[in-house]
Amino acid sequence: MTSGNAETYSAIWATVKVSSYSIACSLFIGIPLGFCLGYFDFSGKKPLRTVVDTLMALPTVFIGLLVYAFLTQRGPLGGFGLLFTLPGIAIGQTILALPIVIGLSATAVEGMDQKLRIAIMSMGANRRQLFLSSLWEARHGLLAGAIAAYGRVMTEVGISMMVGGNIKWHTRTITTAIALETNKGQFGLGVALGLVLLAIAFCVNVSVSFLRRR
Amino acid sequence: MKGLSIAVICLALVVCLLPASSSAEEKILMMATTTSTDNTGLLDYLAPKFKEATGIELKWTATGTGKALKLGENCDVDILMVHAPPAEKKFVADGFGTDRREIMYNDFVIIGPASDAAGIKGKSIKDAFAILKAKQAVFTSRGDNSGTHKKELSLWKAADLPVPEKESWYVQTGQGMLATINIAAEREGYTMTDRGTYIKYESNLKGNPPLKILVEGDAVLLNQYSVIAIKPKHCAKANYDTARRFTQWITGPEAQQLIKDFKLLGKPLFTPNAKM
Amino acid sequence: MDLPIYEISSLKHSYAGQTVLAIEHLKVQPASIVGLIGPNGSGKSSLLRLLGLIERPTQGKILFNGRLVEPFSEEARFLITLLPQEPFLMKRSVFNNVSYGLKLRGNGKGVVQKVNEALKLVGLPSQDFARRPWYALSGGEAQRVAMAARLALKPKVLLLDEPTASVDAASAQLIKEASLRARQQWGATLIVASHDWQWLYEICDDILHIFKGKIFGTGRETIIFGPWREPEPGKWVKVLSDKQQLVIPAPPNTETAAVIDVLSVSEDELRTSDDDIVLRGTVSRLSLEKNTDQVVATIIVGNLPFTVGLTPKQKRERTIFPGKNIFIHYSLDRVKWI
Repeated sequence: MTSGNAETYSAIWATVKVSSYSIACSLFIGIPLGFCLGYFDFSGKKPLRTVVDTLMALPTVFIGLLVYAFLTQRGPLGGFGLLFTLPGIAIGQTILALPIVIGLSATAVEGMDQKLRIAIMSMGANRRQLFLSSLWEARHGLLAGAIAAYGRVMTEVGISMMVGGNIKWHTRTITTAIALETNKGQFGLGVALGLVLLAIAFCVNVSVSFLRRR
Repeated sequence: MKGLSIAVICLALVVCLLPASSSAEEKILMMATTTSTDNTGLLDYLAPKFKEATGIELKWTATGTGKALKLGENCDVDILMVHAPPAEKKFVADGFGTDRREIMYNDFVIIGPASDAAGIKGKSIKDAFAILKAKQAVFTSRGDNSGTHKKELSLWKAADLPVPEKESWYVQTGQGMLATINIAAEREGYTMTDRGTYIKYESNLKGNPPLKILVEGDAVLLNQYSVIAIKPKHCAKANYDTARRFTQWITGPEAQQLIKDFKLLGKPLFTPNAKM
Repeated sequence: MDLPIYEISSLKHSYAGQTVLAIEHLKVQPASIVGLIGPNGSGKSSLLRLLGLIERPTQGKILFNGRLVEPFSEEARFLITLLPQEPFLMKRSVFNNVSYGLKLRGNGKGVVQKVNEALKLVGLPSQDFARRPWYALSGGEAQRVAMAARLALKPKVLLLDEPTASVDAASAQLIKEASLRARQQWGATLIVASHDWQWLYEICDDILHIFKGKIFGTGRETIIFGPWREPEPGKWVKVLSDKQQLVIPAPPNTETAAVIDVLSVSEDELRTSDDDIVLRGTVSRLSLEKNTDQVVATIIVGNLPFTVGLTPKQKRERTIFPGKNIFIHYSLDRVKWI
């Protein structure tokens, strides 16, 4: 296993690519949305928050099924040919990660001190600067949301399997490879792949921890 | 400035990921096949040879037979390689597929512990199943509507026995062939598998598996593999020409010989039987 | 008269249906120092937030330099700053906290120098403190950094909400000095809310009392809270800590506070008239009132501070001094209720 197996590297690279892509997308879309959800008061805020929290528990196979239904040739987005591709998986994983990012960002923002607003306005910020500085101040909470989402995305099988098809060299990720190997009875290989996944997650968390106190 | 650098990183990610999906301008053939077929490793063996011969890259996804047929019906793949003749014929009759060509066969076998507590070795299928039922020996079934599963159900029927759905000794795993075999091995029980997967299982365990072949050779145990191209009339986007190239190649003398030569532990897994 | 820097008219401000401020009219002169005295919940912080243009009043107008201004307007952002009561810093280093406002204004050049000057004003040498993260400061140090951040901007108006309430004595001292320095160096207008009435009497041109959202008086009255008792029918008192009875007219309800204006002090206990009430107390300090020649004496009567101006004779004869037991006189008729 530790001997450089080209298939394994392909699966690892696929996992890294697709999870980075989906995390980037979900953070890009989710953080501003979550911020608005936490920052502003509007009617329907509470129900919306409940909906977001519920969506955090969406089963991956369910999302996989939904995304398949959209991306299949017969489906509305079939024309883009995204089924059985990594970008297709990334779309599904972004949907998976979004509720987590939005919900935890909103929590981070709500946890911010009211005094922040006074302090920042007092120093002369305009609305845009107030928004950006508040975002930066909430960064520790936002980071927690990103890590949680990342964990969920890296370890999911349902979407990768249904939307990606577990195609060797192309859409086989570490998690689908584990599923395949354990299904074939190759438990040892499955465990080994799992350890690789753990190692990647560890590296990411270590590099993130440098950001934590800053 | 910090926000800007993050945006740049995102952009870089996007840029480096996108070309990956559109660079494959070479010919690609998308296939749906079954997990048992994939697990034998036959496609890993044939695909590079196919590419060498035709320049077409074969990509395949392995699922249960039912889902493979559905993928074909949904136009998500260009060609099918499955082994469920009744379902296949219906598929073609429904207008989803065309150019159905038989390419190879192997057979199913009943395997069980070497000790064979139930004593079915060498018996015919009818007798063997009757004994298993009488003795209530643990029997694992695919239970997933796959081609293999449907074959197994047909065997119970052929033996004039009801499918032991709710019996405690009849274990429906709902999983792939190797997983089902493994569960049988754990429970010291019996199961039905295709020979190809059995040889692969044997090879995984370095030639000494706990379960051995006990019943084989019965005519009813034949497992016929075919390829079916997706009909362009049904799916405008189906790569029909590429699918035809594959069908021609795999039924041709070179590929048929390759299939014959595909061995694990010195034993061939499939017998080519494409009609020229 | 110059244009007042602030002019408030018909101001009413409410939160969640509760009126917290009701000010008919108020003017603040530029470069003046105004003190705001009142208990917690009296509306001080709300008033400061409105003057800081952090919020818009529910009703009424605030004119700044004669013009109607909104939150986020240029004047609001660049001319007025507010230092809240609890020390609060952003999650960044001391240097970045202090330079935040400067960077917002696009003052690229000389930022380091301005930051160092500001830190010096509050007694935090920049070699030691500039690099420190926000969590490595004591409460007093943090408040000083917050002060420095505002001073660095050289604002025209500096609003301070209990600047010395949550900090240690040394920090309190430095903050007080820094505020005055602002006034001296660039003529800032200071509006300071504080419980430290001694300090306010010392530095302020005007002192406003605020209670239950209303402003009244300028300085010398004392507000007394209940509970009120009626030991004999028709006689209402508050019993002080030294068992003296502070006599007042019948209170309109149990919630009101009394406003007592001390008329005079004397060394004897003789009543000057029928409705003169006399209480015994001790002189605690004398201060020279700003801008006048008045000497103001603070007299503690059973834990309550009363202030009274000395007559020219008393001032000349120097018979009143801290520590002296003395009697204060006030008129029962003139007790007001709020």
